[in-house]
Amino acid sequence: MVHLSSLLLKSYHSGYVVIRLALAGHKQANRPFYRIVAAYNKRARDGKYIEQLGTFDPLPNIYNEKLVSFNFDRIKYWIGCGAHPTKPVAKLLGLSGFFPLHPMTVTEAERRRAQAKLAETAGGTEDSQEGQQTQI
Amino acid sequence: MFRVIGGRSVQAVRLLAPRSAVLVEAVRGRKSRNDPVAKSKEGRIKVPPPVDPVEMVVLKERYSEYELILRALRLEFKEEVLRKKYEEETGSQAEERARQEKEEHRALMDWNDQENLQMLKARILRIQKEEEEAESKTVEAAIQREEELQEFIRQKEKEILQLQEEAKNFITLENLDQRIEEALDNPKNYNFAIDKEGSVVKRTVLQ
Repeated sequence: MVHLSSLLLKSYHSGYVVIRLALAGHKQANRPFYRIVAAYNKRARDGKYIEQLGTFDPLPNIYNEKLVSFNFDRIKYWIGCGAHPTKPVAKLLGLSGFFPLHPMTVTEAERRRAQAKLAETAGGTEDSQEGQQTQI
Repeated sequence: MFRVIGGRSVQAVRLLAPRSAVLVEAVRGRKSRNDPVAKSKEGRIKVPPPVDPVEMVVLKERYSEYELILRALRLEFKEEVLRKKYEEETGSQAEERARQEKEEHRALMDWNDQENLQMLKARILRIQKEEEEAESKTVEAAIQREEELQEFIRQKEKEILQLQEEAKNFITLENLDQRIEEALDNPKNYNFAIDKEGSVVKRTVLQ
């Protein structure tokens, strides 16, 4: 069957351009790898994109690093042309220093720190209680 | 959440043998609008995650700052893109580039014209040579044909002479009687014998 769309060279689009993460390489299960991509909003997540602007590897490597790459020049161009970055992309850009730090990054960090402190104090009081009991 | 599969897909899938009695596969949104609530979820009230008001105030502040900075960045980038485009089209470099391109184009067109002239000359020479060759060929062909004609005429003349000479020995009405008497007077004997060694014997039984 001949795909008429390719014959007509359809290039109209509805919606706007977004900079988002697209999953790459679905051949391997349980090994995700994201491409940072400029695509039209209505396209499938892994479908045809306009341009690739970077990568993101969510699994940490042997040095416990998660590697991210950006093409800042082209990102500037696309944001100048009116592209919207998604939340995770905005967070990553904030961490990289290109954008200001995302507020949720800061709040998440604070929350986690509070949790850790709570757990520490709880553990500390338990230990001290146990210690007292054993002493007694 | 899990869907029971049966029917046509079962035969192949049964080979991937799950130990359960029923083959299941995961499918999202199994319940439709009118299905009743599950027994384990009967008294459930959905509650959104709790919001800390202090944190919320701080977050709102942070978000407003963040959006401000982001808007400023966006406008900056837009301006940069527009400036780049403007410089591309009507910048200082653009005129020079256009001029250089025109110069190049003119030079190339001149070169092209010269090449065309040279090819024209070569072509004219070639055509002349071909014409001369054709002429010479036709002339040669004409000469050849004339020679053949002459040859033919000579051949015919030779034959005529030969015939004329032979005509002297022809038997005509006047010679008839004479020749008959001559023939009767001189009987010729064509008989001969030859043996295996090749010796010819002309003496035969005379008549």
